[in-house]
Amino acid sequence: MHPLVMHEFMNDPIDVSVDFTGRRIRPKRVRWGTKVYDIEKVNLVHGAREGQKRIFYFSVSDTANFMKLRLDTETLEWRLVEVYAP
Amino acid sequence: MNRIILHLDFNSYFASVEQQANPFLRGLPIAVAGKGRHSIDVAMAHRGSKSIAIDQLQFQRSVVTTASREAKKRGVKTAMGTWQARKVCPEMLVIPGDPQKYGDVTARFMKILRKYGDAVQQFSTDEAFADVTCASGGDYMGAVILAQQIRADIAEECGEYCTVSIGIASNKFLAKLASESKKPNGLTCVQPHEAEDFVLTRPLADFCGIGHRIEKHLEKLGATSVATLRRLPLPLLLSEFKSYGYFIYNAARGLGSDELLPDEDPKSVGNSYTFPHDLKSSEEIYQNLLALADRVAWRMRKQNFVATHISGYIRYSDFGGYGFHRRCKDPLIDGLEIANTAWKVMEEKIDIAQGVRLIGISASGLLPIGGSNSLFEKDRRKARALQALDKVTDKYGSGAWQRAGTMKTSFKERVSGWHYDHES
Repeated sequence: MHPLVMHEFMNDPIDVSVDFTGRRIRPKRVRWGTKVYDIEKVNLVHGAREGQKRIFYFSVSDTANFMKLRLDTETLEWRLVEVYAP
Repeated sequence: MNRIILHLDFNSYFASVEQQANPFLRGLPIAVAGKGRHSIDVAMAHRGSKSIAIDQLQFQRSVVTTASREAKKRGVKTAMGTWQARKVCPEMLVIPGDPQKYGDVTARFMKILRKYGDAVQQFSTDEAFADVTCASGGDYMGAVILAQQIRADIAEECGEYCTVSIGIASNKFLAKLASESKKPNGLTCVQPHEAEDFVLTRPLADFCGIGHRIEKHLEKLGATSVATLRRLPLPLLLSEFKSYGYFIYNAARGLGSDELLPDEDPKSVGNSYTFPHDLKSSEEIYQNLLALADRVAWRMRKQNFVATHISGYIRYSDFGGYGFHRRCKDPLIDGLEIANTAWKVMEEKIDIAQGVRLIGISASGLLPIGGSNSLFEKDRRKARALQALDKVTDKYGSGAWQRAGTMKTSFKERVSGWHYDHES
């Protein structure tokens, strides 16, 4: 592992502000604890199934961090599941 | 009319998807690791209750399922052990594979191909053929334009970092050889009149269907290149390779099948698993066999099949092992029945002292499920219980229930292979 890289998997509750465009949603801002991150890019969105439950993962980044966000479409709950900071 | 076949192959697939998702990985040597001791199941980690720092993971018994272009340039190869890859490229980042992510991108890729192709055949998780004879107007220029449109759609739907190499030719063998010839992001069109000359320029190692063993065999016959292979007469190839000699003879001349195979019912349903540590007790081996058999049985029932044959294999820590095949008296539908049928054979032959590294179990001779017409209440009750358990799995996902006897087992999702575990 590169000594300067922080890469962690987690499952932390977060607040996310989103934009709705047609049938798509785009995360705009993430509040994780006391920190707030403005999303610059949504790099990839992928879906997954947990039984009948539909989950969406948003791979997003700002200028300094990569974050993977998990949206449970049944409970509408957002979680921060991965962080990478070079 | 000659067909026009496209072969599309993602470049460094899993690594490119990871680099698409995380822009900070772009330009870096990275490797996507398969499951292994101390590796993690990404989907499970996302639902877990504790944070996991990647630099604490050791990725023992893990292999490189895909290396990024940058890692390949530094000598990292697919299927290398991660420890070996790190020796070759110490600065390489190892990322745990995320099959759900790759499965979703593969589904988008196939959807795009179906939009453009007259027929489509998926060849692996990151490769597919498309017959575009009609869609292109039977014209190679039309096929090139179509290929560019497909490439643009892939960039739009999967991300610009997920690039494909495309080969266009009159048959599948040649189309694949063409796509292999220019990476990454290549587009190679081989028209029928160019085929023989094009094949001459390619090394035999690039031929799909000529693996390391056949290549060595050909070398002994004096064929080290396509030109020398062409000098070998067909009767010699048939005597050396039996009917496979026809394929080799034709491949050297750029000839091959242009028929795209439709999705067919499976001939077997199987599951194998390499364990993070060697299993050294019969209890542990049976428990894992049962857990694997439950997975096989669930997939079989989901596709409405029962099995009439069971086969399996064991691999020991020294990579030796044995396999078996058993025909069943009655069709099997339950994981417990499958495991017990296999265990009857395995129990006598297994050499526990050697330590079991891998167990594989497969159900074949598949027949459609009939109704539960058994005269015996016990059988009807079991059928009802299985239906109820399958409903629970459908609703809450695999892992929603587990037999008490398999509680000590846990399987990480495979990263490589033809199918993703979460889709079965």
